[in-house]
Amino acid sequence: MNYVPGTASLIDDIDKKHLVLLRDGRTLIGFLRSIDQFANLVFHQTVERIHVGKKFGDIPRGIFIVRGENVVLLGEMDMDKPCDAVLQQVSIEEILEEQRLQQQAKQETEKVKMQVLKDRGLSIPKADNLDEY
Amino acid sequence: MFRFQTPDEDCTLEEEEEAPVEEEDDIDQFNDDTFGAGAIDDDWQEEHKRLTGMEGRAVGGGVAGGRATEMIGGAVDPPPASNLPPPSSLPPLHLPHAPSGLPPPGLEDGRGGGGLAESLARFILGADPAIAGLGAAQSPSHPMPGPPGSALDFSRLLSPPSLRPHLHHPPHQLPGGNSSSSGMHPSSMMSYQQQQQMLCRGSGPMGQMASPSIWENSMGFGPVSRSPGLIPHMEDSPLMSIIKEVGLPMQPHPLRGEDPRDLSERVLPPRSSSPVIGSPPVRAVPIGTPPKQPMSLNHQIHHPTAVHVRAPLQHRYPPPFPDRLSPNTLLNLANNPMCRGPFPPGIGPVLSQLQRAQMLNSQVAGFPRGLGPPPMLPGGGGFRPFFGGPPPPPHHRMPPPPLHGPPIYHTTHLHPQHRRMLTQRMQSRPMGVGLDRRSRDPYSNLMTQREKEWVAKIQMMQLQSTDPYLDDYYYQNYYEKLEKRQERERDSSKKEHTTRLITPQVAKVEHTYRPVQFAGSLGKLTVSSVNNPRKMIDAVVTSRSDDEEKREKQVWNKRRQILYTVEKMYSSLLEVQDFEKRFVHAAEEERGALLERHKTHTETLCTLLTHTEQAGRVSDEQCVTIMSVRKGKRLISRLLPFLPAQQAAAVVMAIARNLPALAKKDKQDQVLCWLVEPVAVVIQSLSSAALTDLLQEIQGREGNLASVLQNKLGVTLLYLVLSEGDRMQSSDPNCQLMDDNRWTELVFSVARELLAAPSSTLAPPLFTPPNLLGLFARYVDRQSLEQLQEKLQISTLTS
Repeated sequence: MNYVPGTASLIDDIDKKHLVLLRDGRTLIGFLRSIDQFANLVFHQTVERIHVGKKFGDIPRGIFIVRGENVVLLGEMDMDKPCDAVLQQVSIEEILEEQRLQQQAKQETEKVKMQVLKDRGLSIPKADNLDEY
Repeated sequence: MFRFQTPDEDCTLEEEEEAPVEEEDDIDQFNDDTFGAGAIDDDWQEEHKRLTGMEGRAVGGGVAGGRATEMIGGAVDPPPASNLPPPSSLPPLHLPHAPSGLPPPGLEDGRGGGGLAESLARFILGADPAIAGLGAAQSPSHPMPGPPGSALDFSRLLSPPSLRPHLHHPPHQLPGGNSSSSGMHPSSMMSYQQQQQMLCRGSGPMGQMASPSIWENSMGFGPVSRSPGLIPHMEDSPLMSIIKEVGLPMQPHPLRGEDPRDLSERVLPPRSSSPVIGSPPVRAVPIGTPPKQPMSLNHQIHHPTAVHVRAPLQHRYPPPFPDRLSPNTLLNLANNPMCRGPFPPGIGPVLSQLQRAQMLNSQVAGFPRGLGPPPMLPGGGGFRPFFGGPPPPPHHRMPPPPLHGPPIYHTTHLHPQHRRMLTQRMQSRPMGVGLDRRSRDPYSNLMTQREKEWVAKIQMMQLQSTDPYLDDYYYQNYYEKLEKRQERERDSSKKEHTTRLITPQVAKVEHTYRPVQFAGSLGKLTVSSVNNPRKMIDAVVTSRSDDEEKREKQVWNKRRQILYTVEKMYSSLLEVQDFEKRFVHAAEEERGALLERHKTHTETLCTLLTHTEQAGRVSDEQCVTIMSVRKGKRLISRLLPFLPAQQAAAVVMAIARNLPALAKKDKQDQVLCWLVEPVAVVIQSLSSAALTDLLQEIQGREGNLASVLQNKLGVTLLYLVLSEGDRMQSSDPNCQLMDDNRWTELVFSVARELLAAPSSTLAPPLFTPPNLLGLFARYVDRQSLEQLQEKLQISTLTS
């Protein structure tokens, strides 16, 4: 509220730690260093956090520049609050492995479901999340 | 970058050697500005030596120097690893070598920059006891290989390739050196190694960067690229502030004491010309970047651009640091092993907490800059020039951003209540916390104040609206309701009246096009377009004379009046005509009402028809006037059956009387014939006296009959009347038609007229009653009868 009182502006969020959820489902955590009028974001010391169940893993990514249109939500992270109370941090390899397993399991169930539907002569078209048009 | 000096320019070198001497004063002044008055040139070295107890020790650091540079990175060419003689011996070492042919061109300036090189070498070696120790250990084992004077190569970024092989040697020697010199300075060695390790490992405060990046120092170690004392462009950047605090680590102070010949000549000319022929022109500022100096709202007014103190020969020196030097690299510069002083291992990053706070607080307006040299600098006396200086005087700084204080007062578009809430919020917010955290962050304020203002300005521009109710309906409504509520609550007890909300409104300018006009030109431009249609026609209002206008108006008014009357009568007539239908369908009770209405309507008709201007005198003027209009004639014809007998007779009389006139008027319309039927009905109901009168009327004055006869209606009427009379006579023996001679006379005259009138002029009647001949037979002799017969037959034949 510093620069443009009465409106929402990202200027006051600069140099604070943020969590951003992108449209492709990735979660990035980093220090918001710079913005522009399109809400393109420059993140510093970015970490991609992968969540699988109760576990999560951080992959350091460095500097990220996120195009504004790909942001789903963005929020400041409270440094004072204790984090990871419920979640358990694991190593990168482990979390990637977990993620892979999760994807695999999902694909399996999806496959089975499709098969069952097909047997019954039904089909549900898969919604593509990324394409909007 | 370096500029190669050809051997031909040897002589010029000497000239240039003197040139920097003049700048020494300026340089010194800059130095003072940078590092503060407390910066004393030679102190640090003595201090350092004193502290480390290395006085008198031979400092040779070929190997160590090589190792240092190897760690520093590939961009920097290694010094002649084995060729760094002790500083004290450096000058004498140089001289014998100098005259010997120095094949690499760079060596020329090496000779000239000998002072710099040796001071650098001293700096390096002095800084690091380990290196010094190693160097001392190694120097005997390594006579100077390669071209002499290669000690100076360290100062060159581009070294002759022959020196490269030296790179490989040092690493192998170092362990040996380490072991050999381990006895000498165990503590300092360990410290050095520890420092190295910490550097390698210590990415913590600098964030997650790969360790090699620490060593990547593309800025170069260039004493060459920086002229001593040159303060980089004082911008409001944290990095510059770091520089101010830390100082340019590459600037060895002995430089000033020594031959202040700096190697700026070696600097490549600024990149004004594109290095690649044919490549597109270098765009220093890529399209889309925020303006470097965006116009802030009040900035220009209140804070004119500060004059930056620069070296007078600035054009020769490229900026030592680019504007956006990352804290990483800067800290690297600060942390490189050359700078590594005799710090105890506890000190990790060079910039201490307080220093960072200091430099970052200087970013924020309003923060006191009274922080002196950080007291917690251990052994810092020697490094005072780098760290200890009080913050540079304000004039080096960019004017503090004006909006950082209460930016809320610069906006006008807020509702006063809203503003109040925001200020309260701002005050109550614990501002200190965030700032404190941010002050510890070395990467903060990467986005400059100007850029923030620029983005804010764009966002504010988007808030402009011509119609706030359209654009921000809910905001307006909410505050209106709030206002009302408050007024109700206060009940005007409070004197304060909430002022009306002022939103930034774009002025609704009237965009009327005014064609371009030149002063003094004759007339207007003839260019015409869609937006600028040229006047093609000058429409002139022609005003007729008043009399004519009046007459015309009168005529029109009269006509309008007649038509109006006719319309009124029509409406009544229609009602009358529909009466019967309604009467049949109406219930018993309503019939009376209907009858009443019917009567009223009929009366209206009568009155309208016999509208008299003067009471008493019945005039058929109205009839005639109505008849003058075609609609009127039609009206009369429809009207007649509904009129009471007397009125109908009167109407017919009127018609008969004015037949010639009517006939004349009817020439265009020819609608008089409609009247025949109803008139015939009326005639048949007429009494004999009335009939006679009618006949008389038709006859009118002398000569009129002829005109009557020319008119269809007239003729028809005549015949009708005659036939009726005859019928009357023949049917009713008590007919009074013959009582007076009028009838007979009239018939005679008619017969005469008929005979007289030529056949051609005779208008064919609509129908010829059959008994006319019989009538005439009684009055006319046979001859005439035959003629009459002919005439009568004309009509039937011709019609």
